Parts: sequence; C-alpha cells; structure tokens
Amino acid sequence: MQKTSLRPIDITLVALFAAMMAIGANVTSMITIGTVPLTLQTLIATLAGILLGSRLGALSMIVYTALGLMGPPIFAQMSGGLQTLASPTFGFILSFIIMAFVAGKITEKSDNPSYRTFALAGTVALLINYLLGVHYFHYFQVFVLGLEDMRLAVSWSVMLPLLIKDAILTATSVSVLPRIYYAVQRSNKATYSHKQTST
Amino acid sequence: MFKNIIIGQYIPGTSMIHGMDPRAKLIVVFVFIINLFIANQFVSFSLLTLYVLGAFFLSKVPIRFFLKGLRLIAIIIVVTFLLHLFMTREGEPLFSVGFLTVYEGGVKQGAMISLRLFLLVVMTSMLTLTTTPIALTDGLESLFNPLKKFGVPVYEFALMMSISLRFIPTLLMETEKIMKAQMARGANFLHGSLVKRVKAFVPVLVPLFIQAFKRADELATAMESRGYQGGAERTRFRQQNWRGLDTFVLLTVVALMFIVLALRWLS
Repeated sequence: MQKTSLRPIDITLVALFAAMMAIGANVTSMITIGTVPLTLQTLIATLAGILLGSRLGALSMIVYTALGLMGPPIFAQMSGGLQTLASPTFGFILSFIIMAFVAGKITEKSDNPSYRTFALAGTVALLINYLLGVHYFHYFQVFVLGLEDMRLAVSWSVMLPLLIKDAILTATSVSVLPRIYYAVQRSNKATYSHKQTST
Repeated sequence: MFKNIIIGQYIPGTSMIHGMDPRAKLIVVFVFIINLFIANQFVSFSLLTLYVLGAFFLSKVPIRFFLKGLRLIAIIIVVTFLLHLFMTREGEPLFSVGFLTVYEGGVKQGAMISLRLFLLVVMTSMLTLTTTPIALTDGLESLFNPLKKFGVPVYEFALMMSISLRFIPTLLMETEKIMKAQMARGANFLHGSLVKRVKAFVPVLVPLFIQAFKRADELATAMESRGYQGGAERTRFRQQNWRGLDTFVLLTVVALMFIVLALRWLS
C-alpha cells in the first residue's frame, strides 16, 4: 500500500463516516431484540470500507473509537468515555477497524463489485466482528477478571444468540449494500465529474 | 436526547482537577491504570483507593455522575466477585452455604479484582467528567506529536476527530428529518418482523449517505478555498499550558508506581 498524504476531501469523508457510525450505533435503539437495542454498527463499518476503501474506511473507524473514548456517548447504548476500556465487549468496537479494512480490500479487488462481492464482504466482516469480539470477551475474563477456569466455548455460547441476530441482520443488509453503493456512486459522479482530476 | 454529545460527560467546574492540563491528566490516568494492574497487595490497593478518593474530593464532581459511569460495569464487578468467592479454593475455608464453601483466598482475590475494576472505572470517568472531548483531543494530539516523524498523520487525526464531533448533531438532525419524511410516506420502523424493520431503514440510509458525501465535499471545498494546508506551522486557537501543578500530580502518580512495584517485589 502506497502512503499518500491526506487530502482535505479524505479528511472530511473520514470524519463524516465516523459521525455516521456514531449515529448508526444508536439511531435504531427504539428497535430492541429481547433487551438488546438494535445497532447498525456492523452495517456501517462494512459500508465505510466499501465506500471509502480499506485505508480511509479503517481510519474512519479508528477516529470513531478514539472519539468515543474521549467522552461523547457515541458507542452502542449511549455509552462512551475512557471507562469503556473496562468493558469486556470493547473487542467488538476494536473489530470495526479491521472489518472496514477487510471489507474495503475485498471491494477494491474487484473492478465492478457485484452482489456477490458485497455478500462476501458482509459475511467476512461479520466473522471478523465475532472472532475478535468473542475472543476479546473471553481473554478479558481470563486475564482481567482472573477467571482462569473460563472456557472459550462458554464465552461463545453466551454470544451465540447475538451472533444469530447479527447473521440475520447481515443477510438482510447485504441486499442493501449494492443499493447504497451504486446510489452513492451515481450521486458522486454527478457532483464530482467536473473536478475529479484536480488535487 | 443527544444534546450532550458535544460536551460528552463533561461536568463544568473550576476545581484543581478541571484546571489541569489535559495532557497531564491523560498521562496520570494511564500510569494509574498500570499501577492498578501491578498492585497485588492490600496495602497497594488501599493506597490506590486513597488516591482515587483524594481525586474525587478535589474534583468536586457530584457522586451521581460517577454512579452513572458505573451503571454498565456494576453487574460485571458483582458477578466477578461472586464467581471468585465461590470458585477459588485457596487458604482456610471460612464458611459454607449449602454445597458452596467460601475460602479465604476466594474472598481476597474477588475483592482485589473487583476493586481493581471499580477503581479503573472511577479514575477513567474522572478524566472524561473533568475534561471536554475537544480538550482531550488536543491533548492526545500533542502527546502523539513525536509520531509525526514516522509519517503518522497526528494533526489530521485530531482534526478528523473534531470535525466528526462537530457533525454528529448535524447528521442526527438530518437522520430524524429523513425518518419523518419517510414515515410521512408510509415507512414503518416500529412494527413488523425484525427483517422488515431493518429493511425499512434502507430508504433512510441511502439519502443519509449521499448527504454525508455531499457535506464532506462542501467542507473540503471550503477548506481548500481558505488555503488549508496540513499541519504545517499552524497556530492554535485553544492553547494548552503545562503548569507546576501538572508536574506535581504526575510525580505523585509515578511515586505511587514505585511504591506499588516495591510492594509487589517484597511480597
């Protein structure tokens, strides 16, 4: 990956996607599954990678995470602040960075992303989300809470209902990805066609 | 509901801790967290608790704001304590309830780990309760400044955080507007199956993303037309000043670190 400096448009896009993530975390909180409010975070993290590319997509998720740690209640369930570090589910937040990066890489690999590309990006992103999230959850219990007898299988079974919920959500949202992707592309073409060559 | 996004959890005040340099506060909290994980003696934990208590009284932040931060983590603290209480089989058995026996080691370990988590949450809350997100972002930027030499866009990163913070309320208002517009057209976000409700959000997300791209473009154009150039010798509107007090507080937490380390070694 070639390192290029950030142009103003990169800076503003990354900032706005971090803000979108903050909104996606809580805007659907009136929809609850059991007692867990629905969040669109996995969808938006994947979209950040798809729409901004791997580098800027991941950067936008880093900005989101760093900003959330500084206090504003922008993580899911209106939480935020440095005390989030003490939460066993912080791994899910960290995984958004990798999710955006990998979803971006998958989309960049194909010249003309199709439904299948997005389905792949969405599925891989979900797997990363849970692999990282659950392992973090598990090792947090082992090392920070000192529960050395904790089994990984137990951690997984705790998270399984949520994984099923998110799998359904991903299956639904994958059909959304191409629509948003092409709608944004069309709109960008209309806006940028006259100045794409500058900077 | 979202009116407090920009200021985060910040509680305005004029206390000594409010007045400290955000960089000093970030370093102190960081060192304190390390201390919490080094500590393995009751004496160390008492010292650390006293330190937090001192900070609490000096900050003059009402206790209910700390309780708010503890709300989410309280269950974890309690469950961890109980698990250690009943699962650890070390030392003298103290008493038994039914088939469960509580050992001395379990009480010790449960108490230490719960206390560690509790102090961690209180101390990190202290940081975000007495410092605005913008001040913390500035502090973070100048702390990571040395990384610029390695090509890390530290300045741009802080700028992105500030822009993001500034645009969260704007985008939120936009989201609400779009949702209302779609509801007027018959969209239903509250009823139907999960899949249906998620699908109802598509007509919200598409215009929202297009709008976000447009806004980013406008903002970039505005920056360019004002001659924006990255980090190069920019002056600041908000100045940070490191005072003697900041050095003093930093020294106290470092001293604490040596004590906690010594206690760990001697045991």
